[in-house]
Amino acid sequence: MTVNRYTKMAYASADDMIFGKSPNPVKAGLDLEIGAGYTTPEVNYAPRPEAGETKEKLVKEYERITRDIMERMVQVGFPAVVLETEHVQQMTNNPTWGGEVANAQKAIMEDYHDEYGIKCALRHTPGDIREDRDYMQLRGEKYNTLMESFEEVASNGADLLSIETMGGKEVFDRAILRNDVPGMLFAIGCLGTMDMEYIWQDIAGIAKKNNVVAAGDTDCAQANTAMFIAGGLLDKNLAHTLAIIARAISAPRSLAAYEAGAVGPGKDCGYENTIVKSIAGVPIAQEGKTSTCAHSDVMGNLVMQCCDLWSNESVEYHGEFGGTTVQCWSESLAYDCALMNVSLQTGQSKNLRDMMVLSDKYRDPQGYILAYDNAYKIGEAIVKDSDDIYLRAKNAAVECVNLLENADPKLQMTRFEKNALADASKALAGLTDDSDKFLSDSLEQYKKEVKVFRPENYGL
Amino acid sequence: MTSLDVDPSEILERYNVKMEKAMTPDDAAAELYPKDDLIRPIAEAIYEGEEDDTVEGLQKAIDAGKDPIALIDDALMVGMGVVTKLYDEGIIFLPNVMMSADAMLDGIDFCKSQAKEAPVSKGKIVCHVAEGDVHDIGKSIVSALLRANGFDVVDLGRDVPVDEVIEAVKKEKPMMVTGTALMTTTMYAFKAVNDRLLEAGIKIPYQCGGGAVNQDFVSTYELGVYGEEAADAPKMAEAILAGADLGKLKEQFHQH
Repeated sequence: MTVNRYTKMAYASADDMIFGKSPNPVKAGLDLEIGAGYTTPEVNYAPRPEAGETKEKLVKEYERITRDIMERMVQVGFPAVVLETEHVQQMTNNPTWGGEVANAQKAIMEDYHDEYGIKCALRHTPGDIREDRDYMQLRGEKYNTLMESFEEVASNGADLLSIETMGGKEVFDRAILRNDVPGMLFAIGCLGTMDMEYIWQDIAGIAKKNNVVAAGDTDCAQANTAMFIAGGLLDKNLAHTLAIIARAISAPRSLAAYEAGAVGPGKDCGYENTIVKSIAGVPIAQEGKTSTCAHSDVMGNLVMQCCDLWSNESVEYHGEFGGTTVQCWSESLAYDCALMNVSLQTGQSKNLRDMMVLSDKYRDPQGYILAYDNAYKIGEAIVKDSDDIYLRAKNAAVECVNLLENADPKLQMTRFEKNALADASKALAGLTDDSDKFLSDSLEQYKKEVKVFRPENYGL
Repeated sequence: MTSLDVDPSEILERYNVKMEKAMTPDDAAAELYPKDDLIRPIAEAIYEGEEDDTVEGLQKAIDAGKDPIALIDDALMVGMGVVTKLYDEGIIFLPNVMMSADAMLDGIDFCKSQAKEAPVSKGKIVCHVAEGDVHDIGKSIVSALLRANGFDVVDLGRDVPVDEVIEAVKKEKPMMVTGTALMTTTMYAFKAVNDRLLEAGIKIPYQCGGGAVNQDFVSTYELGVYGEEAADAPKMAEAILAGADLGKLKEQFHQH
């Protein structure tokens, strides 16, 4: 596979972006088409920890989960659903385990599809197991095991292949705790992108061979780490203005999957996905108010704005008053999708989109930047230097800072957030435009500062 | 966008803006610095997170006759005290604390290199990430905050086998163990550590937290005390020094 850079936007204007529709819809699984004019719930779940003791127990647990979801969908009359199985480590480290789980899940989904005609698809997301106790091992022996895992799930029923890769995380973890914006750029924009290009070409190859879909990635390991450390309005761990700069930088990094052969839908926790969609036109999964079972969120309505799949991030499988957790959450997701789909059919979708955006656009700087009109501007900054992974990441950061510095006064920021923004702006202004210089300087600096950083993981 | 618009003040409240302290962090810090001309620049350098300035200040103080070991408590800890006070009051944020902790650790190393005897630590704490879990940013924060508050940290790293935790506790005899985990699937190792500690007759507080870890789970094993925030770690260690037993710690830190 080769890497093809995006040099222009997928939409003529930001206003064209909407939930349920993508310029490049994706057919997957059993009669499902994602981004083709309707939204679909994507249900995520985690087995109870004791189920991971043996392969047999794990397969049984996923069978229960799958049956519960499919049953609830038909009981309440929903037309389509996607299931996402994020692997517990045993399933990726033992590739046949993942394969057997996929096989068992797909058999149940096929039964429901045959019986009721419900459209459905199965996403499998192997864990990024490419590290040992002391170091990341992005290109070593564990890489081969990971590829075997993809091969097993792809040949046993998974329709969509995804992963949450961790390239750059060892540098990012240090940078984010020290307000080090150039470090964030190096970690996410450069190292993250290099790793994405490397791994997604191979995943796309496996998908092609098995006639399934290379779906997409998320910068969970870095931008979400920043978002979670930043936390709520009163948390004192990281300025939210810095968290959103990390997010802006993550967009060109997650875009790299599509440049290397993925076609969407992007992963749910990639809050950068609206920016990615503006450039690549691929369908995206998102999560927000319906993922409060997994984490709190300061933009729970806003992130629905351009979703094609609507997700709950993850919930442990157990009983609730209203059924099992997967039944409760799948039903909530599906009702949200029903409302979005009604608006699409009645010509009210842009109003609904903008109501969701206005719910959260001024709640936090992160929502302000990810609102589709601003997300689109970040996208434009990225494609301006699409061939240079450093410059396009820097452009994204600079545009994010510009948008916040000139924000609508309705967005109130604390003095602390503004100061962090001013510091970031200064750091960015001091950066070179020479990619080679930035890379070689950063390489030297972080080899010294981050003991566990190994350049060979990135072919450097 | 469509012509829709809102007055956000009718639909949300930016409580962080509403509650922000009038005083700037620098002003607040200035009120807390010690007056001594030799000590103040060191405390300031710690607050600013400037490693080189910290060492330079220490060198000047030593040249003027100050004892390097005494400077750890009298200057470095005082500077760090300013930082932790401002962090606890919500005036500065975690990255400032981390940068100050970096400067503090460089300062301690410098003081040790200039002294004949070793400093007395407030207490030893063993930190680890649960077996099977490689997510260690939470542990890095916990360990930095503990060190910055004068505790001696034995950092076992990430994905630490239960056996290794037990061996380290037997060898180091810490006042507390901390365990962090991101995933629900790995946090079960905490229970195994708890059981093995009890089998060995060791009854020390085992502070657990991170990611999907919650108070309900930590409450299921005897030695477990839930740490909701990384900043709870030094507070818990201080509480132990002040005489709190497991019951008292759970009473103080189990908020839900």
